[in-house]
Amino acid sequence: MTLLILQAIASGVVTGCVYALIALSLVIVYKSTDVINFAGGEIVMIGGYAGMLALLYLGLPYILIFAFAAIATFALGALFDRIVLHKVLGRAVPGQSILVAMVIATVGLSYVLKGGVRVVPYTEEVRRLPPFFTGEPIFIGPVVVQRQDIAIIVVAVVVMAALWAFFSLTLTGKALRATSQNPRAAALVGIPVRRMRMTVWGIASALAAIAGVLLAPKLLMTPDMGVIVILAFAAAIIGGFASLPGCIIGGILLGVIQNIVGLYVGSNAISVAPFAVIMLILALRPQGLLGGRVAAKKV
Amino acid sequence: MLRLKTLRGALLGAAAMLAAFGPARAADPGVTDGEILIGLFAPMSGQLAAFGFDPLQAAKMWYEEVNKKGGIHGRKIKVIVEDDKCTPTEAVTVVKKLATVDKVFLVNGGSCTAAAVAAQEFVTREKIPFVMLNAAGDGGVFPPTRYVFGAFGGTQRTVGATIMEFAIKELKGKKIAFIAHDDDFGNSNWSTAKAVAARMGAEVVAVERIPPRINDVTAPLLKVRAANPDVIISTAYPAPAVLIAQKYAEFGMTKTPLVQAVQGIPIPAVFAKNVGNDAALVNFYYGSPLNDLTDGPKQQKWIQLYKQYYPDRTPGAFMTYGLPSAMAITRALEKVGKDLTREKFVDAMEATQFDSGVLAGLTAFAKDRRDGYRSSIFIRFDGKTHTLMPGAYSWNGKDGM
Repeated sequence: MTLLILQAIASGVVTGCVYALIALSLVIVYKSTDVINFAGGEIVMIGGYAGMLALLYLGLPYILIFAFAAIATFALGALFDRIVLHKVLGRAVPGQSILVAMVIATVGLSYVLKGGVRVVPYTEEVRRLPPFFTGEPIFIGPVVVQRQDIAIIVVAVVVMAALWAFFSLTLTGKALRATSQNPRAAALVGIPVRRMRMTVWGIASALAAIAGVLLAPKLLMTPDMGVIVILAFAAAIIGGFASLPGCIIGGILLGVIQNIVGLYVGSNAISVAPFAVIMLILALRPQGLLGGRVAAKKV
Repeated sequence: MLRLKTLRGALLGAAAMLAAFGPARAADPGVTDGEILIGLFAPMSGQLAAFGFDPLQAAKMWYEEVNKKGGIHGRKIKVIVEDDKCTPTEAVTVVKKLATVDKVFLVNGGSCTAAAVAAQEFVTREKIPFVMLNAAGDGGVFPPTRYVFGAFGGTQRTVGATIMEFAIKELKGKKIAFIAHDDDFGNSNWSTAKAVAARMGAEVVAVERIPPRINDVTAPLLKVRAANPDVIISTAYPAPAVLIAQKYAEFGMTKTPLVQAVQGIPIPAVFAKNVGNDAALVNFYYGSPLNDLTDGPKQQKWIQLYKQYYPDRTPGAFMTYGLPSAMAITRALEKVGKDLTREKFVDAMEATQFDSGVLAGLTAFAKDRRDGYRSSIFIRFDGKTHTLMPGAYSWNGKDGM
C-alpha cells in the first residue's frame, strides 16, 4: 500500500509542477493587472503546437523548441495587451470598472486561438511531442519514475527559479513589481506602466507556452487541451491567488491530491477532486494557503 | 334548383377529374417519378471531421453507383449534403432544414452519437425515416423507435460485449481488469461487458471508470496492477487510451495483454507514434467492426472504388464505415417497389438483413431492433504489424439489457 501511495505522490508531483507553471502565468497577470486570464489554457495549447511546428518544420533541438515557443507566445501576449487590452482600457469611463470588459476580452482570445488552431494541419488528430529523454525508467526505491518526468520537474524548477530571480534581482522585474503594487506611483517615478503591462502579458504567455511544451509529450495535444487551465485556477486558489510560491505549492498539492483521491475514492472522482478542494479552501481559508489577509476591494 | 344541380354536377365532375388524374393520396415529400431525395449529413469541418468526411463521401459514392445501374425502380437518388460539425444543436438544425426546406424523403447522417441522438425527437415527431451514417448511437437505438435506424459500426454495447468475450475466449482471461469512461459510452461498454463476464464465468477484478479528460492515469493503473489481472481491457477515447498504454508499459505490466476498443485507436499508426514506447505494444490488441484490416484485401475493393470517385483524396480509416448505411437504404428502397412511402420504407428497413462486404458480420434490423450491427474482430498490433486474430465476436443483444 505504501508503494501505491509513493508512486501516486511521485506522479502527482510531476503533473503538479505543470499545473504550477500554468498557475504562475495566471497569477502574474492577475497581480499586475487585476485581470483573470481565461485564455491561459489556450496559450498553453498554442505553446504546445508552436513546439510541434518548430520540431516538424525547423527541426530544432528541444532547448530551442522551448525558446521558440516562449518567444512566439511572448509576442502573442504582448500584442494582445497592446492591441486589445490597451484599447479596452482607453475606453474606460471614470468611476466604472473596466475589468469585466478586459476579462471578456481574454475569453474572446481563448475562442480565437482555439478556432485558429483548428485550421492548422496536424491538429485534427491527437498529437504528441517526443519525450525530451528516453531510456529505462529510474527506480527511486520501489518507485518508478520516467526520465521524462524528472526532466519536467527540473525544467519547471529552473523556470520558477528564473522567474524569482527576474522579479527580485533585475531592474525590470522590480519595475514590474512596482507597477503591480501601485501603477500610479510607478508612473510618477518614471516607470513606463504601459510597457510594463505588455511585458507582464508577454512573460505570462511565455510561461504558459513552456508549460505547453512540457505537457505535450506527456498529456498529448488537441485544440481542446486548454481546459487544463481549470486545474491551474484550482492550484492558484489553493495556494493563494496573489501568491507566487503559493501557486507552486497549490499546483503540486493538486497533482498529488488528484492521484490520492483516484487511489482511495475512485478514478471517477479524480476530476471532481480539484473543485472539492477549492470549495474546502474557500470555506476554511479564502485567501488560500499562502495568501495574505482577505480585504474587500472596490473594483 | 337548376343552378344547384349544375353546381353539384360541376363539383362532382371536378372531384372525378382529381380522382382520375391527381395523386391517389398525398405523396410523401422527396419522391417523384424520377427521383428520391435523401438528406445526407456528417461532420465535414471542425476537429471531428475525420469521423464523418470520408464516410459521407463513401455513402454518396454508393448512391452514385446505384444511379449508374439505373437507380431504384427507375428513380435516381439525389443527395443534399449538410455539415453538422458533430454538435447536437447543429445536427438538429441540419435535420430540420433537410426535412422542412429541402423536403427530403429520408435523412441519412450522423457520425457522432450525441449529434445523431439529438435529432431523434424531431424525426420521430415528423415521422421521417432517419438512418444514421456511422454513429454508434446507443441512445438513439435503445430503446428502439420506429423511424430511427443506426449503429452500422456497432453500438458501445456491442463494443463492451465483444471485447469482453474476446478477452475471455481468445486470451483465456479469467481475471479481467476493465477501464472505461464515466460517461454514457463507458456505461454502455460496462453494462454488456459485465454481463458477458458473468455469463462466461470470468471474474472482473478491477473496474476503473475514468473521466474522459483525465490527464494522469497513475491512480487507475496502479489499482489495475494491484488487482493482478490476466487481461486488461480499455474502452477509453484516443488521448486517454495513449496515456493508459504508456503507463501500462511504465508500470511493467506488459506481460498482461492489453485490449483497446476501436474508439481509442482510430489510426493505429498514429496511436503507436503517440504511445512512443515499443514495449507498450508487445502484447497489445485492438477491436474493429470491419471484416479486415482497414487496408486489408477485403477492404481494398472499396478503397479502389473510392479512389476512382475521389482521385485527389486518400481515404481515412473511417471511410468504409459510411457504406453499410447507404447499402441498407438502397436495399430497403428496392424492396418497397415503385409505390414508395416513408411508412413502407420503414417496414422494409425492419426486414433488412445483408452482408455488406465491409463489416465482419451481418447488418440486420427487426421490428424490435434498431442497432444494425453487433460484431467485432480483433487485431494484434505491435506498432508496425497488424495480425488478424481468428474469428469474429458478436453480442447476442441480450447480455446487459
